[in-house]
Amino acid sequence: MTFSIVVSAVVYLVLVTAVGIWAAGRTKSAKDFFIAGQKIGWVVTAFATMSAAFSGFVFMGGPGLMYRVGVASLFICIPVGFTSGLLCWVVGKRLRLLAGLREIYTVPDVILCRYRSRRASGLAAVAVIIGTIGYLGAQLQALGILIEMVFGTRALFGQWSLLGAMILGSVVVVFYATAGGMVAGVYTDLFQGVLMVAAALAVFFFCLQSAGGLEAMSRSIVSSEAFGPNHLDPFGTLPVMTAVGFFFVFAVGLLGQPHMLHKFFMLSDPRTLKWMPLVIGLTQSACVLIWLGIGLAVPALVAQGRMASLANPDQAAPQFLLDFTPGILAGLVFAGVLAAIMSTADSFLNIGSAAIVRDLPKAFGRRVRNELLWGRVAVVGLAVFSAVFAFLYEDLIALIGTFAFGTFAAALAPAVAIGLNWRRVGATAATASIATGMVVNLGLEFLSKQTVVDWLPSAPLKAGVLPAAVSLGASFTVLFALTWLSPARHDPDLDPDVDFVMQI
Amino acid sequence: MARRSALLFLGLASPAVLVSSWFSGLAAELCFILLVMAFPAALITLAVARDGLGPLKAPLAALTIVLEVCGIAMLLLQGQVLQGPWFGGFPVAAAIQVYGLWLGPLLLVALAYGLTFDRWELPEEDLRRFDARRRANGGDTER
Repeated sequence: MTFSIVVSAVVYLVLVTAVGIWAAGRTKSAKDFFIAGQKIGWVVTAFATMSAAFSGFVFMGGPGLMYRVGVASLFICIPVGFTSGLLCWVVGKRLRLLAGLREIYTVPDVILCRYRSRRASGLAAVAVIIGTIGYLGAQLQALGILIEMVFGTRALFGQWSLLGAMILGSVVVVFYATAGGMVAGVYTDLFQGVLMVAAALAVFFFCLQSAGGLEAMSRSIVSSEAFGPNHLDPFGTLPVMTAVGFFFVFAVGLLGQPHMLHKFFMLSDPRTLKWMPLVIGLTQSACVLIWLGIGLAVPALVAQGRMASLANPDQAAPQFLLDFTPGILAGLVFAGVLAAIMSTADSFLNIGSAAIVRDLPKAFGRRVRNELLWGRVAVVGLAVFSAVFAFLYEDLIALIGTFAFGTFAAALAPAVAIGLNWRRVGATAATASIATGMVVNLGLEFLSKQTVVDWLPSAPLKAGVLPAAVSLGASFTVLFALTWLSPARHDPDLDPDVDFVMQI
Repeated sequence: MARRSALLFLGLASPAVLVSSWFSGLAAELCFILLVMAFPAALITLAVARDGLGPLKAPLAALTIVLEVCGIAMLLLQGQVLQGPWFGGFPVAAAIQVYGLWLGPLLLVALAYGLTFDRWELPEEDLRRFDARRRANGGDTER
């Protein structure tokens, strides 16, 4: 690793730690800890939403996936063109207004308030905790791998190197997430978001420059034997059901992602939602440029004979950065990747601890007395558990990490997105929809990917069909079917505040 | 009317998405694309309709048309990278994916949201009612 990358990583880690120390003095209550006191402006909220949504996968995994399957991989990220508007229209305003009238810090809080059902809220909390462990474990694992790579600790510590690197990364995230709660979370997210956008724009420029521009890259890829025309055909390398399934899950499923919905509770003034879709959409699209840029440049450079073919596609981004960008930019991007990973991790630490300290006890009719203290304890516990789990069960955590998005989507999107916009949806339909989404997604994903138990059948799906798309469709279907089957005269008796917000 | 249509579409499209994923062939793929591409606009319609769609009628119609046309065009252009024209540095199908499906809706949706926000999404009258309710609940106003 070059000196500039090591310096960038050190400076970055010192800066986020400093933000944590600053934020600690501003965290005095559970409201500060979980929703940053509901005092956050729209620019900070927009950047925090963007950076929480994009993990290191966009910077490292995305280009690697594009190297492997071509432009078909873009179906995962191109919904960002409209999903910020979808999010604000369908749930953003109502979540924010509800949080202004009631004490709402989490998505299970919203479900409890909307449906008056502890069972629905408790199930939602379970879905949040399962998804959080997967997401968080995968982020801490990625953080460890990156720190190990930057500081070269494997040569020093051998087999304990990854654990040591994971501990170092986790200590920094846990420090600022525990001390400063969501105040630290959103302000580090702002810094991290700016870093991610700057890095992505700069790298895209170098991609165009190094491989001769968009058309030259595309023509090199199309005419090469290694990649060929299918690489630039949207349905060339993946079945249509897979590619469009990605689009469905990552567009509609976004409405159930707690780390994004959570940000609306923090907004200081609902009127400032006005330009959030523009800022979120532009910044997310800027970050996607790194996926598109490196994803095109590396196969083009390989086709042009200027780069060796990659044995591991995930090396696409690091290899390009080291070989074709100035050291300082490579340093900026590595810091950007650290930022992307840590911003997602801190969001999950916060919502996971809220699910443990607030949502589950409330589902059993109890309330934790000192939520601020126990929230901090839960952050540490969750991080330790996820890190140990990720270290001991590396394959399992990767598996859970990949289907966490689908679990949130299938379990929460219908109950939140339809439930906040259609008063006829009742607690039974919402509970059944949450349970269906969670069970079907976990079951199908497990059956389609597990290799441990020989006698288990594989998932009953056609080749190419995504379990997350099926489970999302199933949970919407259950919600609509049970709502329509319930007699119209039994419209649910809504809480007056919820009824009021749903009419606005 | 718009709300009812959106609910009807979403209620029927959800099981149809499930069913179409168990079939193969062009018809099943086309059906899957048509349903999935209309889903986002239907969800937005359900959320924003109040006695019609007001100023959002044209942007939502445009969003639906853009997504549907791009989806169908990419399906029809499948396997024709070498034969078709090029646009903006890409073979036409990839250009539709990048410029149509990704960048096309970006400004359309974000500007439609921002420019209709005060008139349709959160008008002053609604904010006043919200503030009054917030005060009645014992909180401060939001402004």
